[in-house]
Amino acid sequence: MTEQLAAALAAEEAAIYAYGVIGVHLKDADEVSRARACELEHRRRRDELVDRLDRIQASTAPAPPAYQLPFEVTDRESALKLAVHVEDGVAQTWRALLPVTEGADRVDSLSYLTDSAVRATRWRRIAEVTPLTMPFPGRPG
Amino acid sequence: MVLTGRVLSTSRRLLLGAALSSAALAGCGLLDSDPEPEPQPDPLQPLLNEALALAAAYDRAILADASLAARLTPLADDHRAHAAELSRVIGTAAPSVAPSSSAPAGAGETTATLRKAEQAAQRTAVAACKAATPERAGLTGSIAACRATHAEALR
Repeated sequence: MTEQLAAALAAEEAAIYAYGVIGVHLKDADEVSRARACELEHRRRRDELVDRLDRIQASTAPAPPAYQLPFEVTDRESALKLAVHVEDGVAQTWRALLPVTEGADRVDSLSYLTDSAVRATRWRRIAEVTPLTMPFPGRPG
Repeated sequence: MVLTGRVLSTSRRLLLGAALSSAALAGCGLLDSDPEPEPQPDPLQPLLNEALALAAAYDRAILADASLAARLTPLADDHRAHAAELSRVIGTAAPSVAPSSSAPAGAGETTATLRKAEQAAQRTAVAACKAATPERAGLTGSIAACRATHAEALR
């Protein structure tokens, strides 16, 4: 499970970084505050993952000083596209925790998977990207 | 596994029968009168039924109001994809997943009732994921998350 927790941590760290970039390219106050709320949620999860990994005394690779974005972010359109991409990526790492957890831990992982999938749907609606949903959120590929 | 267990217990009963009375065995009465146990429905069957019912509900809503088609068709397609995948995992024949153009219209589906149905279906899927074997946890989890995104898309 350590491996999956470390992957989730890396994805959450990348999401925090990405939302910093996203925020710079959004102007609309509602969009900016949504991005800020997403960033805070990912920070909360990151802290929780760090605690959890500490408890099982697992050492993870230190976060890299900078992240490679999957594509260039230059304007609102590419910023919104990155927000969708980030939430889809985070959803994948939480889904990978489902088979290796049970009980309350699995329910928590599912609620993060679900939360990221719902956030991705909201960003798609704001970006006017269709379809708004995918059949299997978090499934790789 | 289950099949192997039944074969073993049958042969055990056969041995017992042979020891007690070879005549009873010859008539095979022992085996014939033994009712087959009812096959247990797969725990994912309710999830599959729900996926098919939701797909049909979207079809009815679209028939009643064609202007909803662009918005609702992708959601119905998601449910059909769930039904196909669940059937594969359960090992039942794939149900008819074609859009039912003959579904009775005017059953009163609105985006509000569909949203409620999605929220209830999400709860079913969460419970299924919680109880699932590791092999099925990812699929049921994705279905739960998808149903939540549908409720969001219907806002």
